[in-house]
Amino acid sequence: MKYFKDLWQTLNKPAKYLTLGSISLTAFIMGIIFWGGFNTALEATNTEEFCISCHSMESKPYQELQATVHWSNNSGVRATCPDCHVPHSWGRKIARKMEASSDVWGWLFQTVNTSEKFEDKRLEMASREWARFERDDSLACKNCHNYNSMKWETMSKLAQKQMKSAAERDQSCVDCHKGIAHTLPEMGTARAPQLIAEVGTGPSSFTNEQPYFSALTKPLYFSPTGDVQAGTLNVATKVTVLASEGDRVKVAIDGWRKKVGLGRVIYFDFGINMLTAQLSKEAAKTDGIINGFEEKEDTMTGLKWQRVETELWTDAEYLITEQKPLWDYARTTFRTSCSVCHTQPDEAHFDANTWPGMFQGMIAFVNMDDDTQALVQKYLQQHSSTFVKEAH
Amino acid sequence: MTTKQLHKTTESQSKLKEFKALGFIIVVLFPALCVAAIGGYGLIIWLIQAMGGIVPH
Ligand code: HEC
Ligand code: HEC
Ligand code: HEC
Ligand code: HEC
Repeated sequence: MKYFKDLWQTLNKPAKYLTLGSISLTAFIMGIIFWGGFNTALEATNTEEFCISCHSMESKPYQELQATVHWSNNSGVRATCPDCHVPHSWGRKIARKMEASSDVWGWLFQTVNTSEKFEDKRLEMASREWARFERDDSLACKNCHNYNSMKWETMSKLAQKQMKSAAERDQSCVDCHKGIAHTLPEMGTARAPQLIAEVGTGPSSFTNEQPYFSALTKPLYFSPTGDVQAGTLNVATKVTVLASEGDRVKVAIDGWRKKVGLGRVIYFDFGINMLTAQLSKEAAKTDGIINGFEEKEDTMTGLKWQRVETELWTDAEYLITEQKPLWDYARTTFRTSCSVCHTQPDEAHFDANTWPGMFQGMIAFVNMDDDTQALVQKYLQQHSSTFVKEAH
Repeated sequence: MTTKQLHKTTESQSKLKEFKALGFIIVVLFPALCVAAIGGYGLIIWLIQAMGGIVPH
């Protein structure tokens, strides 16, 4: 304490021995050294070598980048890690550097030092990265790419259409161009956590002869205990529960199939390509699994269809009592995910057999897990002109 | 000790003090202030962004 008091006294009065010249010279030199040193340090942490000194422990981002156009292209321009990940303006760069203290933290505690750990965290990290790109409208990309300098004529039809409307809104590139530099996080395996959070996992006991609806795409089995799969039951499909045993239930599924090949795909109704269930080859070949009834010919395609019923076992979870929550979830997802790219068409704009093709074309640029995809597609089909007209 | 000698020691003592103070500023105080100022600036921008704001560039 005394030390600081003395120090303060010395500092607080005019220098007696140090000359004004030496003081200002010191200040000048210090200024240069500080500014230079700081920027040198900042630059040093803004090189790819620096990033991969850590991000090589799992190697992934670097190796994945090498397979992309940003590693080698006709123009010979190389995008480095900081080009995409660190803002250029000074203030934001410092802010990003501070955020990167989580990098240091993660390095100390080895959060992503193996391939498995990296994959486990990839979705979480990518989500944060996407939020950053969204926050500044993909400024990092726009430092190199400029909507105004794009040569629309030589672009593909799809690119022209999408990119021109994106340019009008000066839209963030990463809205559509995700996974441009690295492998996209695995989203299909998480089994639609948000969907399940919304609709629940279903009741714990079932009433026989009552209708239930699948909340996910579910496996079908031959028996209440065996693990040989007889096929899959599509999401949001109505089934009738016949019996419960252990953690499985026996369900009755009905629909129509095309009389081609083994006819192991069951559709919602005659002439409508809306998936209800897909049986395995064994199941389709086994007598008594699929029971066929009357047949009809579709004059549009010349295909013969047959009404069918089947009774199989499935896991008791993810069977819910109402269909409406599923449609509600699908509607919101459709509205939010697809409007990112364009004003999405009305559900009743297409018929049930046109929607799958349209939808598959759209989702190429949207991150949606398999269950949600299947659900939204079914929602669109179920609310397409095919059914809306009939309801009127 | 003569008065003159006494005067000399205080003189060289306070000279030393002055140099020490300068050294303190160069080695400790200003670097610390620098880091604090830049860090604080970064923190403010980070906070603005974290609250969903847009920082002009
Ligand atoms: C000290 C080692 C280290 C250095 C140097 C480093 N990183 Fe990281 N980085 C990590 C670790 C560890 C993680 C995982 C953090 C976690 O567990 O969330 C990470 C995460 C990331 C993420 C994911 C972002 C997020 O919010 O989770 C990005 C992007 C990234 N680093 C980019 C970079 C770039 C660009 C550089 C060079 C400027 C760099 N890193 C330098 C260790 C490092
Ligand atoms: C360092 C500059 C630079 C940055 C930053 C950059 N790019 Fe690129 N990008 C290029 C170059 C160069 C090409 C290749 C042009 C060519 O020769 O075809 C390219 C090509 C592309 C392509 C065309 C891909 C293909 O297969 O033809 C897309 C899409 C793209 N960039 C998107 C992005 C996005 C999104 C970002 C931001 C995350 C981004 N770029 C950041 C320089 C950059
Ligand atoms: C509305 C969604 C959307 C946005 C936003 C968007 N793009 Fe695209 N972009 C597309 C589509 C769709 C294609 C065509 C992809 C294909 O053909 O596989 C494309 C193609 C491209 C191509 C390749 C063009 C070609 O055919 O040679 C480049 C380069 C590109 N985008 C860069 C960017 C950059 C940079 C941004 C941000 C400034 C951006 N895009 C924003 C949808 C978008
Ligand atoms: C062309 C721009 C671009 C370059 C260059 C680039 N990244 Fe990325 N990076 C992205 C984007 C965009 C994401 C967001 C996730 C996605 O869309 O794949 C991302 C995500 C990440 C993540 C989160 C985990 C993941 O895989 O999604 C890490 C870590 C990362 N980058 C590190 C690096 C490192 C290290 C380098 C340099 C070797 C690098 N990136 C170079 C654009 C880039």
